[in-house]
Amino acid sequence: MERMKRGALGILCLALAVGVILPGGCAGSDTGGDGGAATGEPYVIGAVLSLTGAQAGLGGPEKNAIDMEVARINEAGGINGRPLEVIIEDDASDVDQAVARTTKLIEQDNVIAIIGSTGTGQSMAMRDVISEAGVPQVALGSGSVITAEFDPLVFQTPWTADLIVPLALQYLADEGLTKVGLITEDTGFGKDGQALVNAMAAEYGLEVVSDEVFKPADTDMTGQLTVIKSKGADVVLMWSSVAASSIVPKNMAQLNLGIPLVCSHGVAKQEFIDGAGEAGEGVLAFAGKVLAPETYGAGTPSYDAATGFVERYTAAYGVAPDHFAGHAYDGLYLVVEALKRLDEGFTPADLRDEIEATSGFPGIGGVFTFSATDHNGMTADDIVMYRIEGGSWVLAE
Amino acid sequence: METSELLQLVIAGLKNGSIYALLALGFTIVYAATNVINFAQGEFYMLGGMFAVFAFTRFGLPLVLAVPVAVLVVAGIGVLFERLAIRPRKDAEPMALIIITVGGSLVFASLARHAFGSDALPLPEFTPGPSIPFAGAAIERQALWIWGIVLVTVAGLTFLYGKTRLGRAMRACMQNREAARLMGIDTARVVMISFGLAAALGALAGVAVTPLTSTRFDIGAGIAVKGFAAAILGGLGSPLAAVAGGLLLGLIEQAVIPFSSALKDVVALAVLLAVLFLRPQGLFRRSRREKV
Repeated sequence: MERMKRGALGILCLALAVGVILPGGCAGSDTGGDGGAATGEPYVIGAVLSLTGAQAGLGGPEKNAIDMEVARINEAGGINGRPLEVIIEDDASDVDQAVARTTKLIEQDNVIAIIGSTGTGQSMAMRDVISEAGVPQVALGSGSVITAEFDPLVFQTPWTADLIVPLALQYLADEGLTKVGLITEDTGFGKDGQALVNAMAAEYGLEVVSDEVFKPADTDMTGQLTVIKSKGADVVLMWSSVAASSIVPKNMAQLNLGIPLVCSHGVAKQEFIDGAGEAGEGVLAFAGKVLAPETYGAGTPSYDAATGFVERYTAAYGVAPDHFAGHAYDGLYLVVEALKRLDEGFTPADLRDEIEATSGFPGIGGVFTFSATDHNGMTADDIVMYRIEGGSWVLAE
Repeated sequence: METSELLQLVIAGLKNGSIYALLALGFTIVYAATNVINFAQGEFYMLGGMFAVFAFTRFGLPLVLAVPVAVLVVAGIGVLFERLAIRPRKDAEPMALIIITVGGSLVFASLARHAFGSDALPLPEFTPGPSIPFAGAAIERQALWIWGIVLVTVAGLTFLYGKTRLGRAMRACMQNREAARLMGIDTARVVMISFGLAAALGALAGVAVTPLTSTRFDIGAGIAVKGFAAAILGGLGSPLAAVAGGLLLGLIEQAVIPFSSALKDVVALAVLLAVLFLRPQGLFRRSRREKV
């Protein structure tokens, strides 16, 4: 027994290591749907996605979207008569794996472009390999840093904090909710929003009276919310995308906080509504128009793209796609559309230039127009505010 | 901060602490029988919530049935895990068995993802309704359930250890498994029952917390670290000590939040390290001679 007691310190270290390692899994690879009507040498694109590990919930829908759309493109004759092949690699939500998989795709598979990774950390880590090879990357991580730390080779499809924080702060200022109780998750996504809100609040005449953080594994945020209440906040502003985010509206209801909850695009999914239950009613969030395609106007290219994608995905997988699937759709088509415009014998640099020349592409996240300085390509016009009503996200105008 | 707000933090600390305590009890029971820290304990918590959700939504069982069904199923999984993964290596070093439990937790989490998907799954509260006002603070109804479960569990375990033949056998194993075996105690049976009991307690905690947090295939590891920390604080001894360790951990976390919620876990783990250095036997552990 005593020997074991001394071993307790070692076991503690093991416990911590397990906490870190457990979400991970094995990495593997999978080839997305190839073949079809088109003949000839295929265009080979690589995708690094987090199919296992902590971000498996995001990477799975991304893979679904890519598999489905690649099959559809090939059935329709491929790209300029040539088939499309997307080689999907799993980075297990791990930075080192992402780098290794990217290297494999470039050196063994000779891919002409890389989609991914799912997470911001992985997307950034892949950058060295990408730069060396000179192939374009369309990242699916949502951290502002991906395009803020500008790299001519790197594009990004998700909505970023850079895009959404100003809109959220403007809304709070318009509503006179000047004392902001900020609550963010302790992850790259949360810190991105936290830093921007703190940096920009004063510009909008707002004051962050309380700046609270929670862990994705936390079971309760009443402590943080009690502190927010004690600082006299007018509103709770949450920047979070993890499942635990749905605990916040519940705790607010239990504490009878009586102030509104405004959220980032991270909660714009059914999972959040299901988790929050009754307490979710009235919660506000900013996100792209895909949740309410009618805002584009029926029959517009964006409307058709959004509704068509939702229908195909739902038919293929039995569930409606979340916006992560949409960001992968956008990443794929930004490359595909650029390929369509290129003549045979192009170089990776030509492909990069052509992606940068994308203008007015109607995607799922929004309408993309890249420039030499903007590789996220969306504007405030692509983002609208939603409210939870009757158990679903509805437009809050 | 006002008094009512401080009280609110105390309530939150006792609520979270009770969750940690139930996890810590599971660690303690298995450790007592085997000298092994069972890192699959967090997965029993996850599976408890998962099976309750499954029984409730897929089979439409009322909660009052879904909860015991989930607990029993997970208890069975705990027993099976012991039979299939632990018993074949029962004479191995404790560290080898600990690694087996780590592997087991990976398997449970992966299977849960395939069986139940990767979304967070909600469960209704046992007794839905607004929180109960208490001296300017608010107490969630589900928190009362969690406290009730802790009380009943501690009473039950105290009775088991103190008054029953099985409990005495378990205590004998805790003292010296080899001697207990020589005295005619069926130690293999004690170990198996300990795993089943620990799994049931983990599942019970998971079921009781899922209405507050939803459940997901990957939540086991995070909560296991908290439960393990609570068990170490308590000293891996009596049920009461495990509960005290859990409540203390919960209260320490809440005490840190007004200063910096970002440092909550850091400070809690720093306290744990300090305890390990200064009082490796745990805060609440009396000497063994006194206890037995």
